[in-house]
Amino acid sequence: MDTATTTATATPKDYSSPLKPIWCPGCGDYGVLQALYRALAAIGRPPHEIAFISGIGCSSRIPGYTTAYGFNSVHGRALPIAQGVKLANPDLQVIVAGGDGDGFSIGGGHVAHAVRRNLDLTYLVMDNQVYGLTKGQLSPTSPKGLATVTSPLGSLEEPINPLLYTLAYGAGFVAQGTPADLPGLTALIEQAIRYPGFAFVNIQSPCVTFGQEEQQMRAHKAHMRPLASLGHDPSDQLRALDLARSYGKELHTGVLYRNPNPPPTYDALVRERQRALAPEAKDRARLLDVFLQK
Amino acid sequence: MNGLPCSPGVDFKKVSLMQALDLAVTIEEEARDRYLELADALSIAHTPEASEFFRKMARMEEKHRVALLTKRRASFGDRPSTVGRLQIFDVEAPDYDTVRAFMTVRQALDVALQSERKAHAFFKAALAETSDPEARFLFAELVAEESDHEAYVQAEIARQATDPWGDPPGDPAAYSDEPVPQ
Ligand SMILES: Cc1ncc(C[n+]2csc(CCOP(=O)(O)OP(=O)(O)O)c2C)c(N)n1
Ligand code: SF4
Ligand SMILES: [Mg+2]
Repeated sequence: MDTATTTATATPKDYSSPLKPIWCPGCGDYGVLQALYRALAAIGRPPHEIAFISGIGCSSRIPGYTTAYGFNSVHGRALPIAQGVKLANPDLQVIVAGGDGDGFSIGGGHVAHAVRRNLDLTYLVMDNQVYGLTKGQLSPTSPKGLATVTSPLGSLEEPINPLLYTLAYGAGFVAQGTPADLPGLTALIEQAIRYPGFAFVNIQSPCVTFGQEEQQMRAHKAHMRPLASLGHDPSDQLRALDLARSYGKELHTGVLYRNPNPPPTYDALVRERQRALAPEAKDRARLLDVFLQK
Repeated sequence: MNGLPCSPGVDFKKVSLMQALDLAVTIEEEARDRYLELADALSIAHTPEASEFFRKMARMEEKHRVALLTKRRASFGDRPSTVGRLQIFDVEAPDYDTVRAFMTVRQALDVALQSERKAHAFFKAALAETSDPEARFLFAELVAEESDHEAYVQAEIARQATDPWGDPPGDPAAYSDEPVPQ
């Protein structure tokens, strides 16, 4: 980041917009938003150096609740838009936020490419195992057997495993948190933002209106298993893959994997190439000559 | 990491009176802000009575914050606070998960009661860890004050029980409306 600035005195309120969230009272997303404000304050970059990009869903409303730049875009298209934003202005801190449906159903195809392209993006998925905004349909992370309005007799499919998915494609930072542990979630978001490359945090954020009983905050508090207490070493990728397999059965919280030697990001490589090509670059006024037959 | 789980980074073994005051002011500020947030969420979700009760709680927390801040300024002036909002996690502030659309005032009172108990337990634990005599005196005062707040909320609950227009006694979950998938 060439122009990153930090303010030592940033407070969570600096990142909170006057717009009041319209989430259902009790929704897990309130806690996620609070953790996000705190993580941003801990990092201290001013709001005008940050851009939030989201798709559509309850969780995708996040950009409006921050003072940073924001684009509540199209269902499932947050990642491609965020990549465009980052490439156009690499100095921005780009944070992508959305739901499990937005990210792993309609937008599922984009995740693999965002991971392998490795732009310096932070991807926060509020995984409530349901389509909240559209009133409780089956989502790609809903457990097998779940009865919803679109699966009245119970779903027959296995859920997608967001942790395994991102790890398998080679993401350099993969973590899981819950707003039931606000200090832990804040620390995870902060680490994800600071990671130089594509960083993914799966946040188990309960939907109190359409979610299941076992996915609520009380259950999270009772059953979460912090990876630190298991002595997990976040640089151990194979162990991370093994732990990720228990998604849906165990609630592991913390950093599953952090690449100890992050490779250069795509945005950095693009800049490097631009610099290398600069001496032979055509004058802006002659740009069309590249495409015109002489 | 030092400190109690909801106040990472605060080392009670070394806490001074000024730090203890800063901590208490920040805790009250967090509680005030949370009550206001919850009140906003409830008023948007057409739950005006519980929302109004939370606004009342916010005013109470604000009063307590100002009293503590006045004490702090009298002894230590305008020196910058030694405790930041990033060090305080739900010490007295009710969890976001404690509210629901269409909750009753009786349920809101239960939320406030749990929060006062949380704060009481926190200051008691802080007192047990602290060695500075002045800071200990302040924490002991705060333990007593949180007990008073708890008593106030309990009295409100008792008053509600005798109010013919109040919520019926017993388990609120048994008569409250819950949103259902459609
Ligand atoms: C192209 C398109 N298809 C479908 C929809 C309808 N739609 C809006 S949000 C949503 C799913 C939301 O679920 P999720 O992403 O998990 O977010 P949540 O509301 O649970 O936070 C759907 C299917 C849409 N807006 N656009
Ligand atoms: S429907 Fe669910 S996810 Fe959406 S705001 Fe309500 S509780 Fe949150
Ligand atoms: Mg969802």
